[in-house]
Amino acid sequence: MAKSIRASVSKRNRANLRKKIAGPAVDARTERLAAKLQELASQPKPQAPVKSEMELGAGKTADQTQGDDKATATGEEMDVDTKLKSQKKPARVQKGNRKPRNSIVFQSRFKTKKGPKRNFYQRPRSASPARVEVAGSIMAILQCGWATLFANLLLPVGILFFSSGFFPYKPLLPGLATFNDVERNAASPVFDKVIFMVVDALRSLIRAGAALPFTAHASSPTVTMPRLKAMTTGSVPSFLDVILNIAESDTTSNLAYQDTWLAQLKTRGDRLVMYGDDTWLKLFPGMFDRADGTTSFFVSDFVEVDHNVTRHVPHELAQSDWSAMIMHYLGLDHIGHKSGPRSPFMASKHQEMDAVVNEIYTAMQHEAHLQSTLLVLCGDHGMNDAGNHGGSSAGETSPALLFISPKLQALGTQSESPVEPLGDMQYYQTVEQADITPTLAGLLGMPIPLNSLGVFIPEFLDMWDSETQRLQILERNAQQLLNTIRTTFSNSAFDDDSLASGCASSADSGIEGAQCAWAQVQQLRSSNIAADKEFSTIGPALMRFSRTAQDVMSSTASNYDVSRLYLGLMVTGIAVLLVSRTVFYECARSAHTGVFLAFMIIGYGCMMFASSYVEEEQQFWYWIWTGWMFYLHVRFESSQPSSSGNTQSLLARFPALATLGLAISQRIIRRWHQTGQKFAAEPDIARTFFPGHPAIFWGLLILTYVDAGRHLFESLPFAILPRASALMITALAFMFKVNFVAADSPELLVNSFISRAMEIWPYNFSLVWQARLVFGGLACYVLLAFVIRKQSGVAQTPKALFHESLNLFLMMQSRATNIPLFLAFRVQAKILSAMSLEGMEVTVTTLILQYMTFFAFGGSNAISSVDLSSAYNGIGSYNVVLVGILTFVSNWAGPIWWASMSNLLHPQQIPGVHSPAALSTFHIAATLVSVMAACTALRAHLFIWTVFSPKYLYTIAWATGNHVAINLLGSIGLSYL
Amino acid sequence: MASATSSSAMIPPGSPIQAPAEKPGAPPINILPSKLSQVYSYVHPVLLLTLCAVRFEKLVADPVQELLRDLPWLALLQISYVMLCLPPAGSTQATETVSDGEEKKKAAQRSPSSPSMTLRPGKPGYRRKHQSGKLDLAGALAKIMPAFLSLAISSLIATPILAVLLVLFGAPLTTHNPETVLCAAHMALLSATALVYAHGVDGHIWKEVWGIARPVDAVWGSALGTGLGAWFGAIPIPLDWDRPWQAFPITILVGAYVGHALGSLVSRAPLLYGKRIQFAPVGTEEAEKKTN
Repeated sequence: MAKSIRASVSKRNRANLRKKIAGPAVDARTERLAAKLQELASQPKPQAPVKSEMELGAGKTADQTQGDDKATATGEEMDVDTKLKSQKKPARVQKGNRKPRNSIVFQSRFKTKKGPKRNFYQRPRSASPARVEVAGSIMAILQCGWATLFANLLLPVGILFFSSGFFPYKPLLPGLATFNDVERNAASPVFDKVIFMVVDALRSLIRAGAALPFTAHASSPTVTMPRLKAMTTGSVPSFLDVILNIAESDTTSNLAYQDTWLAQLKTRGDRLVMYGDDTWLKLFPGMFDRADGTTSFFVSDFVEVDHNVTRHVPHELAQSDWSAMIMHYLGLDHIGHKSGPRSPFMASKHQEMDAVVNEIYTAMQHEAHLQSTLLVLCGDHGMNDAGNHGGSSAGETSPALLFISPKLQALGTQSESPVEPLGDMQYYQTVEQADITPTLAGLLGMPIPLNSLGVFIPEFLDMWDSETQRLQILERNAQQLLNTIRTTFSNSAFDDDSLASGCASSADSGIEGAQCAWAQVQQLRSSNIAADKEFSTIGPALMRFSRTAQDVMSSTASNYDVSRLYLGLMVTGIAVLLVSRTVFYECARSAHTGVFLAFMIIGYGCMMFASSYVEEEQQFWYWIWTGWMFYLHVRFESSQPSSSGNTQSLLARFPALATLGLAISQRIIRRWHQTGQKFAAEPDIARTFFPGHPAIFWGLLILTYVDAGRHLFESLPFAILPRASALMITALAFMFKVNFVAADSPELLVNSFISRAMEIWPYNFSLVWQARLVFGGLACYVLLAFVIRKQSGVAQTPKALFHESLNLFLMMQSRATNIPLFLAFRVQAKILSAMSLEGMEVTVTTLILQYMTFFAFGGSNAISSVDLSSAYNGIGSYNVVLVGILTFVSNWAGPIWWASMSNLLHPQQIPGVHSPAALSTFHIAATLVSVMAACTALRAHLFIWTVFSPKYLYTIAWATGNHVAINLLGSIGLSYL
Repeated sequence: MASATSSSAMIPPGSPIQAPAEKPGAPPINILPSKLSQVYSYVHPVLLLTLCAVRFEKLVADPVQELLRDLPWLALLQISYVMLCLPPAGSTQATETVSDGEEKKKAAQRSPSSPSMTLRPGKPGYRRKHQSGKLDLAGALAKIMPAFLSLAISSLIATPILAVLLVLFGAPLTTHNPETVLCAAHMALLSATALVYAHGVDGHIWKEVWGIARPVDAVWGSALGTGLGAWFGAIPIPLDWDRPWQAFPITILVGAYVGHALGSLVSRAPLLYGKRIQFAPVGTEEAEKKTN
């Protein structure tokens, strides 16, 4: 108390002194300054000469002096550090005449936590401070003028143009295929029932009995929904289906109105039943007469998801009313995701699947109504060596495919089993996944679905005795392919006369190849061949046409509208140019940071053209961050006065500690998750260390929650009792996380003290309501933050309250193993704020940190790394918008944290000096341009759909979600605080 | 380029960046003026690079063995380099040239384009000293002591520090420990030997080294080049070429050797010599690249 009085008295004295000595000069200067600023504001060219910068600094002091005065008058307490700094100020400003740059340093150092922000647009002094503040902060966002605003408006436009050209639209034939009269009685069905057993992520590892084994080639993206589409429609799903796989309920992914073999069965009046993954139910609403869907919600569930399917099997095998039973087992996929293909659970799971197959096969042998039933056992996709899928490695694209039926013994083919793979995961003859559709259609005696691109698997032709029937099957397949190819290439002629001539010279592949193959078929048809030789001559020709047509049509999935690609590139390029002027002046003002930024952006842009650098993008950010840390070290080292006073903090006395702390925390963060491709399987902290050391994990987790609770507690502006609500909310959030871990990753709870504590704990709420309670509490705090800014005299800044609430929210949305990272962030933020960086340095720092932490949380540029585990927190039923937002937040938790922190780290300064918006806009626009250019230039690249397109999608998310929504709108929103 | 000139030519009039330079720092180190020294100072980087190139295949085959085997040779090369080309620490130079250095700096500020002219005043001093050293064996012996001392210090103190720095900059911690330590040993010999030999254990100078605030000279340039080279050496590691040389210490080490050679040569270019790098290591690096 005494101290504060003494402080305020001495402060007032000093202020008076300052007023007397510096006052008159300052007043005159303020006058000039106002005029100058007016001029500056009207033309925001920040190339103001050094002299005017100095004047800005001086002017700020003048203003500040009066502000201090006010603060003293209202009797606010002032901490010693600020006071000491302000004490030194006048002297330094005087010196500023000789050292013009000093003024800038001084401004950034000068951080008052109290009192309203001052602002030079505050011409009439009587204006309410809050309003001016808001106006000022909006000006601060847009201070670089309309250029930045326009650039940000152009970004989505460019993205839209580019995407419309990049993700091609494939024409689909509406309606269902039907037989004409001739076809109807041509080839009789071989089977009348089919059991379609999908084992999610079953790789090509099968033992074959009375069965035909294949290795089905699943084209990328190897995610469940597109694969199911491929297997049922026979088409090659477009890349966009991956996104729709995540936005599950989207109606465009609905196959109810498309022609599938399921639809064919249904229109025939047959009954279908389905057990397993509820993706089927979403794809085929109303298709099944009996169904029991299983959600793949907790990936740690290895047993229940499969039991849910198997328990229906005996019952359904006894029924005779269905003609197609679909079973989709998820357990294998879960094991893969959780612990990889070499998991100890794998063998027992395979045995379990074996037992199911055995049960069905025995039933097929003995039950009369299952006499002519075909069992198709297949994987929808495989998995890579880390147990994930979505990409195009051999393991992912080589699922097993097995046709089982006692009838197949008639074919007389004997396969050895087990066999050594011929090539990479290629155990048996490879067919396309799309081939399942026409094969099934042929075997079940149905028309081939209209949009199918599959080719009948020729091994099954021997199921028909008569060659005319075999030929009929091939003919049907070829005709159907010809129809689809005619729809797509409407300008290419497939008429007989135009073809016969130009065929000799044309190539084997491409649309010309297909035309040529068809011409050959026509030629053979027109020539008179003996009836018994028809099949052996026309058959191969038909097969050849079908294969070529399949190749042609599969590759039309990558038909680009190049002019739109260039248009998108151009629009984004204009956005870059719009902000480049501001950025250039920014860089020119702080040359070193500018050079570093230019180096970073150019390096990052070049990197986008190399597939392995795109896959290993995290390495770039870790690398560039070490370089930036080195810069910060040098910068901090040299900015420290050598004779530091004894009142200074530990960091100031040992500046080396600052960068050392940064470096150590960064090194830990770097090892948190091994993402990317090359080093993905190497041990890391989150997935290798923590499961082995649960005590350390839980200790860190609790420490993080304690830290979060303490900060939230301190940021609340009330007396002790209401502030305790912060602790309650934090405890609740912790409880939620523990319960979530118990459900999602129980391996973390094994042998830990938490599991013992949980056994004693009597209460059990639903996860949804726990999450809702926490979210509600945090929302109240955010509202509160907006309320308390209106009341003057509140010591705690509402921004801190907002940040702490956000911190807890992000912890809710992060995987448990990632939560201790927030502790590391806290350490880094503390160090960074002690370094008192300049505005531009803060912008670059947080920019790098945002990207770096995205990868530290386990993100990568592969679609498969999208984390959906926290997407349903507090949500009872599926809701596209909410799930989308929660998914984004849980994947971008690190970047969001640093975006919010950057608002706290930025030195409070006058507008016009530095605009983070322009810099980050420049960065993201330049990134977009380079990614678009890479996608345009490398559109024929082998990895375009597996590496570059996912990167493009991620860049869209970075640009629209992280840049526009979080960084720009977020900082505008926070400026109201 | 532009940044280097701007950082050195524009800053001097008393900016806060230059503030620490107000204290009289140690002047840049000159290569000894004798013909042998001058020639060998150019041959030395080439020798190092040759060593690196000749042993490269062996290095890829068995990094630990090869790094260990090359260590004595590197030490020998470094010792002969410092003894032949550099003035030892604590010699008359320190007291003699402080004022010289100040003068030089000011001259350099006035006419940054011709600092080689301003180097002359320092020369007679060296020559005198060197001639006296040439006369008797005692002078040569007087150099051996600091040379071996610097070797010992750099291998005993700089190696652990560099190993820690390597780990902090991303070297694996749980595996490849022998590789990391040996890589650090090589880098220590490359960078620290000459620094210790020329500056001794003067705390102030080492503070400048730690703060990257030394004026550019062959000694400091090669040390900084070693670090930057190692940093840039990490670039090819993530590529999916699956070549054996992409394994951990190799690219870093080659980068360090190349950076050392470039640094020691480039830092003697008249445009850069004697200037203090402040705040912008990367900017300087780019400048170095462009001057090449």
